[in-house]
Amino acid sequence: MSTTDPRSNLPARDPRVVAATGAAAALGLAVYLVGLPASVSLFGTPLADLTLPAALFVAFAGTALAAAVLTRTTWRVVDLVVASVLGVAGGLLFAVWNVAVWPAASGALAFYPPASAVLVGVWLLPAVLGGLVVRKPGAAVYTELVAATISAFIGNQWGFATVWYGLVEGLGAEFVLAVLLYRRFGLGAAIGAGLGAGVAVGLMDSLIYYPTFSAGYKIVYVALAMLSGAVIAGVGSAYLTKALARTGALAPLASGRTAERV
Amino acid sequence: MTAPALDAPVGVDLRAPVARANPVAKLAVASLVAFALLLTVDPVTAGAALGLELLALPWCGVGPRGLLRRGWVLLAGAVPAGVATALLGVDAGAVLVGAGPVTVTEGSLQAGVAISLRVLAIGLPGVVLLATTDPTDLADALAQRLRLPHRFVLSALAAMRLFGVLAEEWQALTAARRARGLGDGGPVGRVRDAVARVFALLVLALRRATVLATTMESRGFGAVTHRTWARPSRFGPADAVVVAGGVAIAAAATAAGVAAGTWELLLA
Amino acid sequence: MADPRTEPVAVRARARAWGWRHSARKAWAVRGVDLDVAPGERVLLLGPSGSGKSTLLAGLAGLLDPGTGPDDGTGDEEGALLLDGVPARTARVDGVRAGQARSGLLLQDPLAQTVLARCGDDVAFGLENHAVPPGRIWERVDTALAGVAFPYGRGHLTSRLSGGERQRLALAGVLALRPGLLLLDEPTAMLDPDGAVLLRETVTAVLAATGATCVLVEHRVGPWLDLVDRVVVLEPGGGVVADGTPDDVLRARGAALAAAGVWVPGHLPVAGRLAPAKIRTDRPDPGSAPGTGSTTADHGAGDVLLEARGVAVRRPGRAVSAVADVDLDLHAGRTTCVVGPNGAGKSSLALALAGLVAPAAGTVTARGRLADGVRSPHPAAWRPRELVRRIGTVFQEPQHQFVAATAADELAVGPRRTGVPEAETARRVDELLTRLRLGHLARANPFTLSGGEQRRLSVATVLATRPGLLVLDEPTFGQDSRTWAELVDLLADLVAGGTGVVAVTHDERLVEALADDVLRLAQGRPAPVPVGAA
Repeated sequence: MSTTDPRSNLPARDPRVVAATGAAAALGLAVYLVGLPASVSLFGTPLADLTLPAALFVAFAGTALAAAVLTRTTWRVVDLVVASVLGVAGGLLFAVWNVAVWPAASGALAFYPPASAVLVGVWLLPAVLGGLVVRKPGAAVYTELVAATISAFIGNQWGFATVWYGLVEGLGAEFVLAVLLYRRFGLGAAIGAGLGAGVAVGLMDSLIYYPTFSAGYKIVYVALAMLSGAVIAGVGSAYLTKALARTGALAPLASGRTAERV
Repeated sequence: MTAPALDAPVGVDLRAPVARANPVAKLAVASLVAFALLLTVDPVTAGAALGLELLALPWCGVGPRGLLRRGWVLLAGAVPAGVATALLGVDAGAVLVGAGPVTVTEGSLQAGVAISLRVLAIGLPGVVLLATTDPTDLADALAQRLRLPHRFVLSALAAMRLFGVLAEEWQALTAARRARGLGDGGPVGRVRDAVARVFALLVLALRRATVLATTMESRGFGAVTHRTWARPSRFGPADAVVVAGGVAIAAAATAAGVAAGTWELLLA
Repeated sequence: MADPRTEPVAVRARARAWGWRHSARKAWAVRGVDLDVAPGERVLLLGPSGSGKSTLLAGLAGLLDPGTGPDDGTGDEEGALLLDGVPARTARVDGVRAGQARSGLLLQDPLAQTVLARCGDDVAFGLENHAVPPGRIWERVDTALAGVAFPYGRGHLTSRLSGGERQRLALAGVLALRPGLLLLDEPTAMLDPDGAVLLRETVTAVLAATGATCVLVEHRVGPWLDLVDRVVVLEPGGGVVADGTPDDVLRARGAALAAAGVWVPGHLPVAGRLAPAKIRTDRPDPGSAPGTGSTTADHGAGDVLLEARGVAVRRPGRAVSAVADVDLDLHAGRTTCVVGPNGAGKSSLALALAGLVAPAAGTVTARGRLADGVRSPHPAAWRPRELVRRIGTVFQEPQHQFVAATAADELAVGPRRTGVPEAETARRVDELLTRLRLGHLARANPFTLSGGEQRRLSVATVLATRPGLLVLDEPTFGQDSRTWAELVDLLADLVAGGTGVVAVTHDERLVEALADDVLRLAQGRPAPVPVGAA
C-alpha cells in the first residue's frame, strides 16, 4: 500500500470536489454582485464595505462544508477516544491557565487594552492540536468543545459561555482544515488553523466581552488574536504533534503513521 | 487535577428540586440566561438576572458554602473585568476620577458595573448546573434527550474518567523528575519542568487512550449506530418547570433593562 | 435485539495462513499462522516478545481492520481468521447486532480498561452497546459481578478500586456479554501476587461454568498450566512452531522459550554471577563482610549510608500516614528488601528513603560518604542535583522517569545536571548502553522501547550519576525472565562494588536472590521477621 499518500483523505481531483468548489465560488460571486446592505453596521462599519470579505467567506465556507461532507472517513473508536483525551487535557490546561496565569498576565497587559489578545492562543491550542492529531472532519471542533466544556465544568470566570466560545473557536480552526480538504496537516495548515481560530475568538471577544472598545481597538484586538492563534496554537500544535508522534503515542492514528515508516 | 466528584459535594443538597432536574433542563436555563445577557451590556438587565437567580438559589440545593466553594472563580473573574472596563473602557459622561489615560467616567463606570454583574449572572446558573450534576448523568442526558451523537459523548466521558486516574501519575512524575536531578533551575527551570511533566503526562494519557479504545471497541462500542441505555434519562413536567423558570429569568431581566432604558443590542 | 440465550456457546476459532502488518510498519507483526481451536478448548499462546501474540488476539477479537479505502484501515491482512466459519471482524459486528458477543478480550493494563465512573455502569456499558433491552441489563450486570466474586455493589466508584479489583471488574464487563471465546492478553502481568491468584481463580471458575473457548497469552507459564489443555508457540515471522499438550511442548521447547524470556517451570532464571550463599551469609560485623575481593573493602562496604528513625510517610491529600514507626539502617554493599502486602506503605517508605518526600514524622538521615558535601543531612532537603548524585531511584513504571527524546540523551541527563564533563558523560553513556544491551537503541525515543528495554534504560539512567545508594520500587515487576536475570546480576555487581541497595518488592525470588536484610511491613507498620526467613 506504499503508493497511497497517507495524508490524503480525499482526492483533490475528485469530480465532486471540483463541482462543490465551483458551486461555492459561484455562490461567493453572487454575494459579491448582490452586495450587503449599507443600512446595517458592524463596529461602525457599514456592512456594504464588508461585501468582498463576505463573498470570499461564503466561497471558502462552501468549499469547506463540501469537503467535510464528502470526506466520508468515519471516526474510528481510537480517533474518538484520542480526540476526547486531548480535549480533556485541554480543559485541564484551561483550568490552570484561567486561574493561575490569565488574571495576572492580562492585568500586566492592561496598559494597552487590546494587548491581552496576544494570550488567547492558549485557548485555541486544543482545536488545532485535535485537528492535526486526529485528522478527521470535525476533530478541531470536537476537541475544542470538550476542552471548553471541561473548563466550564471545573469552574471558571466565564461560566457557561465558555462552551459557546469553544464551539466558535473550534469552527474557526475546522474551517481552515476543511478548506485544505483535510489533506494538509503540516506547519502551514497548523498556522492557518490557528489564524482561523484566532479570527473567531477575536471577533467573538470584541463583540461580547469588549463591546466598549473603540473600532480601532477592536481591529487591533482581532489582529493580535490571529497572531496569537497562529503562533501559540498553530506553531505550538505543529510542534507538539511532532513531539507526540516521536514518542509512538500516536501510532494508531494517521498523524502517527506519517511520522516514519519503521 | 481531580475529576469532578460524584459524591454530594460540600454545601450541596442533591435532593433540591432544581438539583434533581434533568441536566438538560439545567443546561437550558444556563444557556437561556447566558444568551439573553450576551446580547447587551447594561447594569439593570444583568443586575435583575443576578437578583432573580439568587432568589431561586434555595430551590437549587446550592447553599452558601457550596456557592463559595464553586463560585469563587466567578468573583475572581468578575471584579477585575469590571475594574478594567471602568478604568480603560470608552469614556463617556462626566469624569469622576482622572489620571492621564486612566479615567473613570460615568459611562465607563456604568459599563464596568454592567460587565461585572454580567459575568456573575451568566456564571451562576453554570455553577448550579455543575455543582449539582453528575458527569455521567449529564452525558446520558446529552445523548438521550438532546440526541447528541452518543459515540462522542461517551468517549468524552470515558476520557474524563481516564484523567481522574492520571492525578496519581502526576505525583509520580513529580517525584521521578526530582529523582532525575531536575526541577531546581529557578522560576524558568520550574516552568520548563512543569511543561515537560505535562508533556509526559499527555504521552501516558494517549497511550492509555489507545488501550481504552480497544477495550471499548471490544465491548461493542462504535460498531453499530443503535444502542440502549441502562439508565434512561427522563424529561418530565418538573424539568419543564425548571426550563420555564429560566425563560422567566431571561425575559424578566430583559424587560427590566428595556423598561429602564439601559438595554441596548450589542450587535447593532 | 438481544438474544434470549443465557449461556454462551463455545466458539471454534481458525486461522488460515493468517498475517497482519500494522500501518507504517515494514515488517509483519505476525504471519503464516495456521491454527484450529476447538470449541471449549483452552489454549496458552507462547512466544518471544515480537512474535505477534497480542496481534493474533486482537485479530480474533475482530478488532483489526484493514479498511476498504487507502487510509481508513490500521494495517494489511492476509489469509483468514474465522470464528465459527465467519471472519472475526464480521463476527464481532454481527455479535453486537445480535446482542451477544462472540468473543471477549481482557488486556493487561487495569487502569486503561475501566470505561465509566461507577462499577455497575462500567459493566453495563457493553450490554448497552449490544442493545440489550434496558429491562434485562441490570440483572445481567449483577450476575456478571457475582461471577467474578466482585466485593462491591453497582454504585461503587471505579476510582477506588485496586488493580486486581479493576481487572476483575473488566472481566465482569466482558462476561456480561456472554462471549463464547475468551481472549486473555497477559491479564495478570500488572497485578500483585495476591491479585493475580484471585484473577486466575476467577478465570478458572468462569471457564468451568461457561465452557467457553479460551486463548491466553502469558509470560508466567507455571500458574496457568492446570487451566490450559494445549500450548501453542509462535515465532516472530514464523507462525506456529509448536503445538501440543503443555507437557510435550514445554519439554521440547522449554529451554528455548526460557532463553527468550518466558517464565517456564523447570527453566526459571538463575542469576548468573550470583552465589546467593555468599551474600546471604550473616555478617555480624559489616566491616569484615566477605565480598568479591578487595573492591568491597575499598568502597567501605558495611558503612551506614542512610538511617531512618521513627519514619512516617503521608501521601499527598491523605490524613492518615501510609507507613509509620520505621527504623531502618541502609548499608553500603548490602541489599535491603522491603516486603509486605499491597497497601502496606512500601512505596511511600521508598519515596521517603529516596529523599523524594519529607517524612511526616521521624528522620531520614544520610551518613558517611552519602552526606559528604551537602549542608543538610536530610535527603528530602537536598536540591535535585545533589540528590541525583547520591541516591538513585528506579520507579515501578519506567515511563515516569523518562525526560529526554532519545535513550542516549536520557542517560546523559543526570551527568550533565551534576556537572560531569561532556567527554566523561559520553564515555559513561556508551558504557551503560553497551552494558545494558541498549546500544542499537541509542537514538530511539525511550517511550517507544519494549517493556524490558524501558526497564533496563530506567536502571541505566540512575547508574549514570553513580549514586552511593539505589532505591528501587518493584524493579522486576512485569519483567520477562531474561530481563529479570540481567537485573539481578547487575544489582549484585553493584552491591559487590559497594553500592547500597534498598528494593521494595513483591517478588519473592528477588528477595531470595539478593536480600541481606528484609523489612516486612504490614498495614503501615514494620512486622517482625526472622532474619533470612524471607
